[in-house]
Amino acid sequence: MRLGPLTLGCMCALAAAGAVPAVAAGGSDPAPTTPIEHFVVLMQENHSFDNYFGTYPGADGIPRGTCMPIEPARGRRGGCVAPFHLGSRRAQDTPLGNSTRIARRQYNGGRMNGFISAFTAEAGTFEPAVMGYYDDREIPYYWNLANEYVLFDRFFASSAGGTLRNHMFWTAAAPGELEDGGVPRGGFRALQTIFDRLERRGVSWKFYVENYDPRVTYRSGWSGRQRAQLLRVPLLGFPRFVDDPGLSAKIVDLSEYYKDLERGTLPAVAYIAASGSSEHPPGDVKVGQRLVRTLISALTRSAAWRSSAFMWTYDSSGGWYDHVKPPNVEEGRVGLRVPALLVSPFARRGVVDSTHLDFAAIPRFIERNWGLRPLSSRDARAGSLVRSLDFSRPPRAPELLSPARHVIKPPDARRSVIYPIYGAALLITALALAMAVIRSRSPMRAIR
Amino acid sequence: MSPLTRLRGPAAEAPPLSLPGAFRVPAGVERGLHSTWVLPALILAVAILVRLWNLDALGYNSDEAVYAGQAAAIAGDPALEPLFPAFRAHPLLFQTIVSLGYYLGDGELFGRLAAVSLGVGTVYLVFALGSVLYGRAVGLVAGLLLALMPYHVVVTRQVLLDGPMVLWATLALYTLARFVQLTRPAWLYATAAALGLAFLTKETSIVLVGAVYAFLALTPGLRIPRRHLAGSVALLSLLITAYPLSLMLAGRTERGGGYLAWQLFRRPNHDWGFYPTVVPVAIGLLVVCGAGLGLWYARRESRWKVTLLLSWIVVPAAFFQLWPVKGFQYLLPIAPSIAVLAALGLVRLGPRSKRLPMTPALIALVAISLLVATWQQIEPSRSDNFLAGSGGLPGGREAGDWMEAHVPKGARIMTIGPSLANVIQYYAHRQANGLAVSPNPHSRNPAYDPVRNPDRLIRDNEIQYLVWDAFSSRRSEFFSERLLRYVDRYHGRAVHSETVPARTPAGRTATKPLIVVYEVRP
Repeated sequence: MRLGPLTLGCMCALAAAGAVPAVAAGGSDPAPTTPIEHFVVLMQENHSFDNYFGTYPGADGIPRGTCMPIEPARGRRGGCVAPFHLGSRRAQDTPLGNSTRIARRQYNGGRMNGFISAFTAEAGTFEPAVMGYYDDREIPYYWNLANEYVLFDRFFASSAGGTLRNHMFWTAAAPGELEDGGVPRGGFRALQTIFDRLERRGVSWKFYVENYDPRVTYRSGWSGRQRAQLLRVPLLGFPRFVDDPGLSAKIVDLSEYYKDLERGTLPAVAYIAASGSSEHPPGDVKVGQRLVRTLISALTRSAAWRSSAFMWTYDSSGGWYDHVKPPNVEEGRVGLRVPALLVSPFARRGVVDSTHLDFAAIPRFIERNWGLRPLSSRDARAGSLVRSLDFSRPPRAPELLSPARHVIKPPDARRSVIYPIYGAALLITALALAMAVIRSRSPMRAIR
Repeated sequence: MSPLTRLRGPAAEAPPLSLPGAFRVPAGVERGLHSTWVLPALILAVAILVRLWNLDALGYNSDEAVYAGQAAAIAGDPALEPLFPAFRAHPLLFQTIVSLGYYLGDGELFGRLAAVSLGVGTVYLVFALGSVLYGRAVGLVAGLLLALMPYHVVVTRQVLLDGPMVLWATLALYTLARFVQLTRPAWLYATAAALGLAFLTKETSIVLVGAVYAFLALTPGLRIPRRHLAGSVALLSLLITAYPLSLMLAGRTERGGGYLAWQLFRRPNHDWGFYPTVVPVAIGLLVVCGAGLGLWYARRESRWKVTLLLSWIVVPAAFFQLWPVKGFQYLLPIAPSIAVLAALGLVRLGPRSKRLPMTPALIALVAISLLVATWQQIEPSRSDNFLAGSGGLPGGREAGDWMEAHVPKGARIMTIGPSLANVIQYYAHRQANGLAVSPNPHSRNPAYDPVRNPDRLIRDNEIQYLVWDAFSSRRSEFFSERLLRYVDRYHGRAVHSETVPARTPAGRTATKPLIVVYEVRP
């Protein structure tokens, strides 16, 4: 049913007093330790830092003179591929992947020169596309956000390979005990997630899933589309989150995110998993960018904006080139760098943050913000996101950034012609009038 | 025989190189103009009062928003410059004056005060014109009529180009009259300069050059040496050149040309009966009757005077009647001449012996009728029926201010038509576009950008707010329905409204929306 303007006018008269509904969901939440009352995290897929921000000014991007050897053993003598702009070409024909084996070959004992040969060895194909990169022509909105908020250029995937493993670090700060790279037959039982901690503390949370199908859980199988949802939403591999109605009701379709923002019921912690818009190659990066823009735009327009932080990152490098050698942590080597950005009214403007971080930094922030115990040693020791936030200033006014790369235009200098030209016209007229008045006072003469 | 040829005056018989009696200043006028300032000062005070009363009660309408936006852009206002290009459609003299307000800090009020000041200046010039043509009494009454005339009052309370343009046009009329009377070529040059400024305020005033030509052609007794005629034309041309010169130096020549072409070939926005039905009422029917009487009495005066006044009425009226675009304020240049003729009729009405007791009462009656009509116009309206150019837009400023405070910076807004889009842009400092703007470049004002594929833009989250308004809805039900369909389709949520009290058929009072702001999302 559509409400006509007349009816809506009456409704608006009521709404006008508050204009935007107050945030209700967070009302009963324990007070956070920072002004961030809503933390929203989106996990996208399969892009490396250099693939998206390798040419971003001020970030640790692709080094000058880079050329990836086709055969690492022969170095450049065997031919090499320099990084190149992918443009509108998509990697649809490229079987780029993020398996542990490929990651290990790309790493090549720390020499970081196996990015092309890894695919040759694993798939028998020559994949120069791995050296391709995007820039502000394809992802202008992301670059605009980086200009205005915080871009992390030392944010690593927690694990060198495997979608589920990295998603587990995102939700549980631990890889979980996987079976054949997937959820164990009986599901994850003992493993604690950040949502268990939140639940116990009485902090509101929701897991929003794009195109959510509630029938797909670890019990329903492990193939095709079902597998994709299980990988992206690790909670569906936990019996308690599937069986407990109170918990399963908090795993909802992404459309609920917009409704929660409209109703003012956005929870304190919101995880988001995309499906068709996940940017997973060969998917169009612009589709993912549109989703991110829609999510941030809705948050920006809501009452929650003033006390929120929105972060999104990528579950792995997806096989794309990244030049930074990943560090070792206690369980072993972490994955390559992935793009990660933080958007918040408290975010420092245009900062490139080089703090060493990985997905465990996300649960860590939640734990610190709501006074929760760490889940594992990984999150206990993870780097902090708080350095990129500045709580000493009032929150920034909401702003919707352009989907096009915004260029700061200098003031139109050409308008400077206006004052002299029109001023001269006024002056000429004043002189003509003055002349007429003066001449009229002199003795009259006939026109000759 | 045309009315013009029937009007007789000594000008036809006057020798061109001498100073014939008919061309002399009426006895006592020069002295009388300066003898006392009490009555002119009172008239100017009245003119100021009715123009300032509730001046800021309503926000800008669409045209005002555009001109004020241009002024802000000229001044380099960082919030408005990206939304309103300085070079848009018309010359920029008035906008340049208004731009000074943006340096002072309150451009909005300054713009209207500038319009009021120039309008009051026109009242003074009409007093001076009436005085030099028919004597001080006629001048005073003419000034009073214009001071209270709803047409002039309403237009000169707004940031429109027509009020200032009429000031320069009246200055041209006055200087031309002085030229004929004093036969000083300097006055002819002043006429050319004043016409130049009128053009630099609004280019349609070029039609008044035609009025001057008609006057000269119909006044054969007035001979002007060729070198002065050529010099005046050269001065006029020099001033007119300022407009294309500024466009050329700024590299914006396509702006002015495109707008003129669109004006010439666009579909008429009103029918032929628009001016005959709207303008006489706005001028005041008693004033129009008085002008008719004035024409009758003018037959006893020098013919050149009535020829001059009639040229200033007939030529613009005929031109704008034929011009496809019609606007409430476009015929304002005829108001000063009508005021002078009406004053002549009122002052001279009745037999000479009874004139004294009758005249003041009659003048008072006409003045009161004008005051009542003007008062109704300047009281802030909260109606949903709005005629462009007739005043501020109810609710527009309030809706824009609300959006400035509550809508994120960088948001893009779609309205039904471009009129409200201009107002929203000015007050909300957010980009707004009208759904009704045609994507066909031949069918739209080149100053406006169409909304190409609104569905896609909303789906891509490039448009986040839709604004419905009663004024545009009344003008275009089709686009109003389309906009509301987008509201339905994209989870539209009313987040703000501006309303007026309205009476239902059952006799109850309800709120009627003037403007509703919807938030939409994909």
